[in-house]
Amino acid sequence: MSDSQIIVGLEIGTSKVCVVVGEVNDNQVANIIGLGQSKSRGVRKGEIVDVSVVEEDVRNAIVEAEHMADVEIQSVFLGVTGSHMRGFNNTGVHPVVSADREINDADIQDVIKNAKAVNLPSDHSVIHVIRQHFRVDGQDGVLNPEGMLGAKIEVDVHVVSGRYNRLQNPIRLVSGLHLQVENIAFNGLASSLATLSTEQKELGSLVIDLGAGTTEYAIYSGGVIKHTGVLAVGGDHVSNDLAYGLKVPLGRAEQLKVDNGSAVIDPESNDRMMDLSSDNIIPGKKVNLKHLQMIMSMRLREIFELIANDIEQAGLIDYLRAGVVLCGGGARTPHITKLAREVFNLPAAIGRSSTVSGIKNALDEPEFSTSIGLIKFGAFQSQAMPKREGLGRAIRKQFVSLFGGRK
Amino acid sequence: MTNSNLMRDHDNSDNPVIRFIGLGETGVKLVETLAMIGLKGVQSHSLDTDNRSLSRCHQSKTLLLGKSIPCGLGAGGDVALARAAVESDRDHILKLVSGADLVFVIAGMGGGTGTEAASFVARLAKETGALVVGVAATPFNCEGSRRCNKAAGGIRDLKQSSDVVFHFSNEEVIQIAGGEISLNNALEIANRHLCESVLGLSRMLIEPGLLNVSFGDLQASMKGRHSLGSTLCVEGVGEDLAADVMKKILSHPAARMGKALSEATTLLVHLSGGENLSLAKINTVIESISLHASANDVIVGASGSGSDNVLQVILVIVQETKSNNFIMDANVSKNLPENEALDLSYPENFMPSGENSYMDLGSDSTGANRVRFAYTPPAPAVETITPEMKDSLLEAAAKQEPNRKKRKEIKQEMLPLEVISKGRFEKSEPTIHKGEDLDQPTYIRRGMMLN
Ligand SMILES: Nc1nc2c(ncn2[C@@H]2O[C@H](COP(=O)(O)OP(=O)(O)O)[C@@H](O)[C@H]2O)c(=O)[nH]1
Ligand SMILES: Nc1ncnc2c1ncn2[C@@H]1O[C@H](COP(=O)(O)OP(=O)(O)O)[C@@H](O)[C@H]1O
Ligand SMILES: [Mg+2]
Ligand SMILES: [Mg+2]
Repeated sequence: MSDSQIIVGLEIGTSKVCVVVGEVNDNQVANIIGLGQSKSRGVRKGEIVDVSVVEEDVRNAIVEAEHMADVEIQSVFLGVTGSHMRGFNNTGVHPVVSADREINDADIQDVIKNAKAVNLPSDHSVIHVIRQHFRVDGQDGVLNPEGMLGAKIEVDVHVVSGRYNRLQNPIRLVSGLHLQVENIAFNGLASSLATLSTEQKELGSLVIDLGAGTTEYAIYSGGVIKHTGVLAVGGDHVSNDLAYGLKVPLGRAEQLKVDNGSAVIDPESNDRMMDLSSDNIIPGKKVNLKHLQMIMSMRLREIFELIANDIEQAGLIDYLRAGVVLCGGGARTPHITKLAREVFNLPAAIGRSSTVSGIKNALDEPEFSTSIGLIKFGAFQSQAMPKREGLGRAIRKQFVSLFGGRK
Repeated sequence: MTNSNLMRDHDNSDNPVIRFIGLGETGVKLVETLAMIGLKGVQSHSLDTDNRSLSRCHQSKTLLLGKSIPCGLGAGGDVALARAAVESDRDHILKLVSGADLVFVIAGMGGGTGTEAASFVARLAKETGALVVGVAATPFNCEGSRRCNKAAGGIRDLKQSSDVVFHFSNEEVIQIAGGEISLNNALEIANRHLCESVLGLSRMLIEPGLLNVSFGDLQASMKGRHSLGSTLCVEGVGEDLAADVMKKILSHPAARMGKALSEATTLLVHLSGGENLSLAKINTVIESISLHASANDVIVGASGSGSDNVLQVILVIVQETKSNNFIMDANVSKNLPENEALDLSYPENFMPSGENSYMDLGSDSTGANRVRFAYTPPAPAVETITPEMKDSLLEAAAKQEPNRKKRKEIKQEMLPLEVISKGRFEKSEPTIHKGEDLDQPTYIRRGMMLN
């Protein structure tokens, strides 16, 4: 085991806390060896609202994963999300000063440093600065400019930032459990790492993680990440709408959604009534199946439309040749791919965490893609880190080439 | 600004209170033009992140957006910046829209500020209970797919946050007029139509009539529909007024060869003719319009304060649309038969005759034709306004100050969104997206009835 490494991904989700243990060999191939889960009771819209119950939920999930993987977990890669997070693109510029105009590693680090100097509100901090492309004297699409000749070097990066205080909440909580947080990653980024193949990234894909409290999304094209976003809307909203519209308690609405839900209105279900009196909520209570589907489909359609709008405004809708990949618990909704096809006018499929191997079931469950992706993120990072030794902590922590495979 | 703005202010005529809000360069240009025409009692506001466009405003009140955010000035097409800017001025904007019954939110889509700010402002206006009409220009195809996509997104947002959007694509002008038309002329035609839409609808409500199209009618046909629409103003002349009116309606670019009519769910028609405007004449016009429309809802108003030889018709078209297929719609008109292709000759005067609350700043404003409105070019650059002109503008503006008598609170005819319990989200920060509270059930916000 000397040349393999244990990497743990932790997602403190709105509906569940999920811990995945991966073993990464020196070829950076990740294998899932353990999984722990607990119901999440103190999170709303992706953010912690009740510290003590979340501590308990995280502890339970960690213990379960340790048992299954037979390891002692000391550190984790932690997923973060929430409405405060922002994704945007930035460009760094740097003049090449050496007499021979040959671009060296110091130039590359300098241009990246320049790209990282983004103008953020004072309470925001940068989580990711992900390299897209370099340009040398205006020449586009340079992947590695080292050794090239030029007078000016530019780099396009994708930046993800969030409110400092709100990012600190889960970090502090996890640290309080005597677990080291090796790094944090945006959930939407992690999910995309788990589900997208190199070809899909190259052709252009949109990954949507339909969680309970938040919906995260990320876009790749030409092999690089182009855009990320998060909406503080998710499966809880679907259930809440149903509870309100069908006049049933929230718990019952959640169950109705899972048992009878649909992302589109099924013409067959015309005004079919379902009798709920057997579970004694309200004697004689019936709900109309068509209403259930209308309420659900309107909410889910709206979520997709909000994303479609954002992508249209970013000018990326024409770059998604590999279509839409759905993950997160919401991806289990029947006909969700049909709805996605309709709204985005693109092919759509449920994502599988096919970029890693291991416990088969875990890889097929759409809820686990964030945690599994965190292992990939961790693997990239631990690979990138030794090479960047001496460049300073900030760079090590923040600038990660997620495309190490494309050298 | 007095705090009277915070109240629903009405002058004694009980006319609805109307506001024009222009956003971004195009919106500012259009609102400034509208303000120069000077509809009585209507306040016009120009909002932009860019001081250059505001510096050209003389008639509308200006607000520079985003002064307080650290990101700096001018959105330069950056929607995120534009969003931050407009959000930072939320309170100020709320003051501009509150107290109004009808708010026009006017912008060009595809850039930064207008695209991003329009839906936000519309949402704020809706929160105050006003009926909100979005008015949007969209790009020429040659501006590129990025811009067009951005515009499509912007329209979709605006539609979701307004009751109706009057949308006019610059490309549509080219489709009809042909590629040889100059950029300036094309924009002028588009701008004219957009201004005409706003003025036509406003006039329909303000102008005293024999049969009124009331604000209530308008609300009933638009409120909460999130539809697309258009307003056409034409003038019939000659022997057969009705036939002439119909011909002009059908050749109007916004009628899209009659397609807009046949897709309409509601039509509001206002006719104004001379004292002797006969019921028979009204009937003929309405009937011929109805022939082209499948709408079951046609609301008619009429006034007889104009001339006997001219029949002015304002036609408001409301279309229920599911998706924003308007970009494709622009291409529909490609199939125009050559010979019919060009009646772009807008009625020279879409302002009422005998009404002196309108000003004419057009190049032919020699005074002889003062009571009639000839198309006013977009806000003149600062240097083209002579001191004399400015004085007369100011004087006219002063005269137009609405008669601010004691105001009475009127009861809103419809309540804004029913406020429901936040249920699951009580403890968390509300999810507000462009001014819309996404925690409220979608089906309620979209006005779906469970029956
Ligand atoms: N109809 C019309 N459209 C315009 C005019 N000027 C610009 N546009 C369109 O409006 C879009 C948005 O531009 P602009 O208003 O400058 O953007 P903003 O200032 O960032 O909001 C452009 O893509 C043009 O297609 C104009 O005078 N009339
Ligand atoms: N079969 C199903 N149909 C519809 N929604 C489902 C189904 N299964 C799970 N969900 C929803 O998925 C959400 C949980 O997804 P998950 O990715 O675990 O969320 P999070 O990461 O926010 O904890 C819940 O809102 C749940 O109701
Ligand atoms: Mg999740
Ligand atoms: Mg501008």
